[in-house]
Amino acid sequence: MSRRAITLWLLEALVGFLLLVGGSAVAASWISGSGWSWLPSWIPEHIWWLPVLIGVVELPFVVIEPLWRYAVHRWELADDVVYARSGWFSRQWVFVPVSRIQTVDKEQGWFERLLGLATVEIRTASYAGSSSIKGLDVGVAARLAEDLAHRAHELRDDAT
Amino acid sequence: MTEDAGPSGQHNRSGVPGAQGPSEPSSEQERRAGPWAVPSRLSPLVLLIDPVRMLPSLFFPLAGVLFVGGFSPSSFVWAALGVLGSIGYAAVRWATFTYRIAGDRLELTRSLISRTVRTIPLDRVRGVDVTTPPLHRLFGLAVVRIDTGASGGDKQEGELDGLPLPEAERLREVLLRRSRATHPDVGAVPGAGPAAGTAPALPSGPSHAGQPAAVEERVYARVPWRWLLYGPLSGAFLFTPFALLGGAIGLAFQWGNEFGLSERAAIGVGEWLWHRPILLVLAGIALILAMPLAGAVMYTVFNWNFTLRRRGSSLVAGRGLITRRSVSLEHSRIRGYEIADGLLERRAKVARLWAIVTGLGDSRTRGQLLPVVPRRFALQVAAEAIGPFDAELRPHPSVARRRRLFRAVAPGVAVAAVALLLGWVAVGVLGLVVAALGVPLGLDRYRSLGHAYDGVRLSVRSGSLPRSQAVVERRAVVGWTLRQTWFQRRSRVLTVIAGVGAGSGGYPAIDTGEEQGVHFAAEVTPEWITPFLSKN
Repeated sequence: MSRRAITLWLLEALVGFLLLVGGSAVAASWISGSGWSWLPSWIPEHIWWLPVLIGVVELPFVVIEPLWRYAVHRWELADDVVYARSGWFSRQWVFVPVSRIQTVDKEQGWFERLLGLATVEIRTASYAGSSSIKGLDVGVAARLAEDLAHRAHELRDDAT
Repeated sequence: MTEDAGPSGQHNRSGVPGAQGPSEPSSEQERRAGPWAVPSRLSPLVLLIDPVRMLPSLFFPLAGVLFVGGFSPSSFVWAALGVLGSIGYAAVRWATFTYRIAGDRLELTRSLISRTVRTIPLDRVRGVDVTTPPLHRLFGLAVVRIDTGASGGDKQEGELDGLPLPEAERLREVLLRRSRATHPDVGAVPGAGPAAGTAPALPSGPSHAGQPAAVEERVYARVPWRWLLYGPLSGAFLFTPFALLGGAIGLAFQWGNEFGLSERAAIGVGEWLWHRPILLVLAGIALILAMPLAGAVMYTVFNWNFTLRRRGSSLVAGRGLITRRSVSLEHSRIRGYEIADGLLERRAKVARLWAIVTGLGDSRTRGQLLPVVPRRFALQVAAEAIGPFDAELRPHPSVARRRRLFRAVAPGVAVAAVALLLGWVAVGVLGLVVAALGVPLGLDRYRSLGHAYDGVRLSVRSGSLPRSQAVVERRAVVGWTLRQTWFQRRSRVLTVIAGVGAGSGGYPAIDTGEEQGVHFAAEVTPEWITPFLSKN
């Protein structure tokens, strides 16, 4: 996991934060201007607290999430099994034997391109045996994807 | 059958017939292809069926011609020409369509103006359906549908509409045998159960293949008509009257337009009804009373004379009263089974059975092995036809019970709290009632949870209103996902999902203990999990 992954997650969290606060502000203006009579009167009057509240609660997480993720995310390739741990608030461990891999993709999103990072997508015939390893250095990702594809071809097991 | 070949099919637009040169079939392959090595046509009897099937779509144009023409002699001539034209079209379509098995592929050729060849490599064939709609049955014909397991919709599937039934059965056998011969590695099913002992192994290698004298058959189950009475317990068919009503309204609108009835008239009818609520209430009561009846009738029509048998190396499930449907599942692609029973069904000790098959689209209807039958019988058939599973399910820790209860009760409580805060008493009371019902539901959900591994197959069970237990072969597992939310971490439980390249893709064991869950995965596939255990 490259250290720049923290920056990547920070950028993503910021975008998410802005969308969430912006969206709730739009909803608030809609509700306050709607004049719905079935709502108790205190709701439209104080609806502008909604985006403020969301903003205040969410803001710390914009910083916490990237750091937490960096502490959790790990990957390893050993004995022809890919192991990946991810998540922050909730966690996920994925074990994928190389012999069952069907495709390996290396992807670069917009932010990842900026930061020289890449994601390796490992797919098997099942969603529960598929994993994406985010925030890898481009060179590391390219090598991993190459190795996996090569090895998967050698070990291909068609029992599925 | 469409005119265009699918993405994998090969176009061969006139000019150079056979340009893509199917490899010259050896005499061995010729023999195995049987009578289909040379191009064959569908049965000419389809010419009797096709025009009849076109009638509904011809009805309005013909009626229109007659009306506009004021039933004059010339309008009758035009209408007759229309009918003749459609018959002629059917005849041309019949005459220009041929199919043959060339070497290791099935070729469907249509040479109407240009020549289109759809090529289906036989090793891609995953299943062959033989259906006999009512008209076809009248003439002893069948529709053969070839499933290639392609994910790109029906583009790559093949259809032979109108083969004599015995020929359809033989063709299915040949197609499936060929697809198997190219996968000798998956042919050997470890622990295929007693079935492996009674059904002699079919030739699977190309060296000793030949026309089998008679296809080995064995009947696993023939569901007696008495068991059809269990049908309405599944609940799914209870909504049939509403579906029928919806269909009728849709049809009324469609036909109404044809006859010049406008939407205004429909709205008028609606308003008229609205002002006579007693009629609406009566209609509602009639619908509710009709539900079990209509449900039972539909269920009977679909599942009449349900039989499950082994034919060669496929499982064949046949059913239906009006349209007889028979689905072949290649045995070597079956990875396990799923047994489901709802709340009422458990009371009556009945269950339904599905096969978990790789590369089978729409597996919930096509993979069905048994309708609602006594649970004990379903388990017995599953053990015989696919393989036994005889390990006790391990219960999950008692924290899981608390979590199930919380999840079943919390939504109702939340709704009630918000509603009472807003002063909506009726909604609040409703929320509390839902919350109270959540208690038995949550307890039952916990009782359903379980997982086990018997050395060959693993099994997980969950759910309540629909409860289902999946039994999957170990070799079908392609990976594991372990998931733990923050709340699960505090309760020291996690969810283990076995990734399987068949069926729904993943079978979860929900809320296992931390140790228990990891141990389960490590027990099934120790070589994938144990190297990492020491490091975590």
